[in-house]
Amino acid sequence: MRTVRIWFRKIGTTRFISHLDLTRCMSRAIHRAKIPLWYTQGFNPRALLTFALPLSLGVAGERESVDIKLEDDNLSNEELLERLNAAMPDDLPVFAVTDPVMKPGKIAYGSFVMTVDPEGRDAEALAQQLTELFHRDSLVVPKHTKSGFIDFDIRPYLDRVEVCPVEGKVEIRAMLPAGSEMNVNPSLLLEAVQKELGLDLYTQIRRTNLYDEQFHAFQ
Amino acid sequence: MKPELEKILMKVQKPGRYTGGEWNSVVKDKHAVDVRVAFCFPDTYEVGMSHLGMKILYSLFNEKDYIWCERVFAPWVDMEEQMRRNGMELFGLESGDSIHDFDILGFTLQYELSYSNVLNMLDLAHIPLRSADRKGLSPLVVAGGPCTCNPEPLADFVDLFFLGEGEEVDLEVIDLYRAYKKEGRSKEEFLRAAAQIEGVYVPSLYTVTYNEDHTIAAVTPEPGVPATVKKRLMLDMDRSYFPEKFVVPYIEIVHDRTVGEVFRGCIRGCRFCQAGFIYRPVREKSVEVVDRQCHALCDSTGYNEISLSSLSTSDYTKIDELLDQLLSWARDEKTSVSLPSLRVDGFSNELMTKIKSVRKSGLTFAPEAGTQRLRDVINKNVQEDELMKTVNMAFSGGWNTIKLYFMIGLPTETMDDVAGIAELGQKVVNAFYSNPNKPKGRGVSVTLSASSFVPKPFTPFQWEPQDPIPLLHEKQRHLVQSVKTRKITCNYHDADTSFLEAVFARGDRRLCAVLEEAHRMGCKFDGWNDYFSLPRWMEAFEACGVDPAFYANRRRSFDEVLPWDHLDYGIRKEFLIRECQRAYADTTTPNCREACSACGAACFKGGICYEDR
Repeated sequence: MRTVRIWFRKIGTTRFISHLDLTRCMSRAIHRAKIPLWYTQGFNPRALLTFALPLSLGVAGERESVDIKLEDDNLSNEELLERLNAAMPDDLPVFAVTDPVMKPGKIAYGSFVMTVDPEGRDAEALAQQLTELFHRDSLVVPKHTKSGFIDFDIRPYLDRVEVCPVEGKVEIRAMLPAGSEMNVNPSLLLEAVQKELGLDLYTQIRRTNLYDEQFHAFQ
Repeated sequence: MKPELEKILMKVQKPGRYTGGEWNSVVKDKHAVDVRVAFCFPDTYEVGMSHLGMKILYSLFNEKDYIWCERVFAPWVDMEEQMRRNGMELFGLESGDSIHDFDILGFTLQYELSYSNVLNMLDLAHIPLRSADRKGLSPLVVAGGPCTCNPEPLADFVDLFFLGEGEEVDLEVIDLYRAYKKEGRSKEEFLRAAAQIEGVYVPSLYTVTYNEDHTIAAVTPEPGVPATVKKRLMLDMDRSYFPEKFVVPYIEIVHDRTVGEVFRGCIRGCRFCQAGFIYRPVREKSVEVVDRQCHALCDSTGYNEISLSSLSTSDYTKIDELLDQLLSWARDEKTSVSLPSLRVDGFSNELMTKIKSVRKSGLTFAPEAGTQRLRDVINKNVQEDELMKTVNMAFSGGWNTIKLYFMIGLPTETMDDVAGIAELGQKVVNAFYSNPNKPKGRGVSVTLSASSFVPKPFTPFQWEPQDPIPLLHEKQRHLVQSVKTRKITCNYHDADTSFLEAVFARGDRRLCAVLEEAHRMGCKFDGWNDYFSLPRWMEAFEACGVDPAFYANRRRSFDEVLPWDHLDYGIRKEFLIRECQRAYADTTTPNCREACSACGAACFKGGICYEDR
């Protein structure tokens, strides 16, 4: 038995599927690719799929990963890549298969690119407005937790946020806490924009990478 | 994906219903095809995507290079609201293009309560509802499926109906359309030509006249149009088209698995069951073909579950052989096999161990009625001791959850028959506790599920009145009060929806106006309890001056002209009358494998009618 890390992108149509659906989708693709998965030895044998860090519904992912356990380790990573890609939907392409280096538990940050549609507004001005907003002393938004909504100040987590106009749109590039310890969902930034500026602008969110505590990219 | 769609999707539940792009979905160049077809299922994505008929026809059409068939489902109300607000028309999932400009919109009519969704979907595509208001050849609105055995309540909206199985006739009509489109011919010319194809019913070419008592006087075809339309069917199931690929949805759907179709038709002839008559005669596939089709589908989809589908899978003549064959590879591929429709008398120890071998699921049986007398009336041909033998076998095999399906409101039913349902449940509970091999340390759970009987066309009960709603409610209460133990859970279907189903099942063309009015009043998703409103429907009936009880609760005489009398499903009326009379005499009829009862299906020249008994 050996563990391999499958690297994929979740783009286009697949950003609209939930994490649970992604799990099912991935299992089926692996089944189609005839990859010999290792199954648990219990009463109901099942395969183990471990995703590095689930994405919220609607958020695209440029560098996502899932770990699987293989029964037969004669398969090279190159061959796995080829077989998987032939079995994946177009909007869920696999771009690498590697041996895992870091443990998913080490993930501490995620980098996000949020493309805001100014809907007729001047992109430069909007970018300026957003930059000012994210530099306020505090920025309290309602955050959904297990015990209901709480007031949550996101400002302490916005030190690594840049806003700039790009081709008539506005891009928010943000490095935000992500992982099991602390998590700031990028949609909270949009929440702040709506609450403080009264703007409900259509925004596409992409997670571009994951990092550990020292900002080393997740491997 | 189109940007307008992406924007909306963030605002609706389960956006995965509307994205398209699933594995095995077919995308073609729209400029390289002659005919664009929208296969419309008038219910949600999860329901429609589970339907085998759609999977078959989708693949069949798309194998032709000149056809591009896309899938269309009824958007849920939140999505509809967003679409209407943003001026987005109903679109095909594959291209994202509005179906307004498609050549053919094909609806599948699986249940009467989806009719309001048919109109709503046309409306969402900004297509005139009435055939007469659509002057051009396209879009052509067609419909198929079991409900077309009485399509009259939709006669004003649908240009042509397909009767029976669609694998051949659908393509014949598409080919005819393609030729007529190229030649620039009119819709009238096309419909007249299509009406000559066997299995095609063009309602606008028939005139219905009525008597003073509101019954039908006559259905008169225009000159040159066939007086009766006969259903089509596939005689050689081994050679009948079956897809090697299913579209694999991103989101979970109702039946999310490989489906192996083992046969069509049913030998049984339960007198309430429309499917048991309109799909005759029984035609089986061979073990090799079912096995090959299941394996190919598991390979192409990645599903690890196979469901063997038919009206009564334990009646397949080689069921043991088929299971052995499937399990020979399925076990290694961690794939399970399930049998959705088991008969009480078709459950053997051998069968039980085989379906248990990969994964264990609950057991469901349908005795349909609580007493032997009533089971004989409906020709269910299941004996109480068979049920006891079966549940004991299941208990010994480790099961402790049994679900039993019943109907209330069956012809000749008394309150004692209703109480008999609870008594039968009690006997199953008692059987568990007196079984020495029952699972240790666990109690038993028996669910009794009661639906309300809906008389359907082409059954021996097609002349029967449905119990009025208050009587159905009384019977439901009586059932609940008759249950004496907590080991039994009792649930029943809403009588209001069964009433509406009964109206439309045996309705005629005068219901078209009611349907249109109900649509205008906002009726949709009538099969969903959260959306169904009988008071709103009653308003629509009233506004149109139509009495729904005339259709649901009235006993017809054997010589009345029925709205579907000009449609020929091979089943002779004399046979249905004979069966109805036998029902009232508590007499059962042997199944097709035991003896032929001369129903008329032999006219199709194949299937079980010509096998050695």
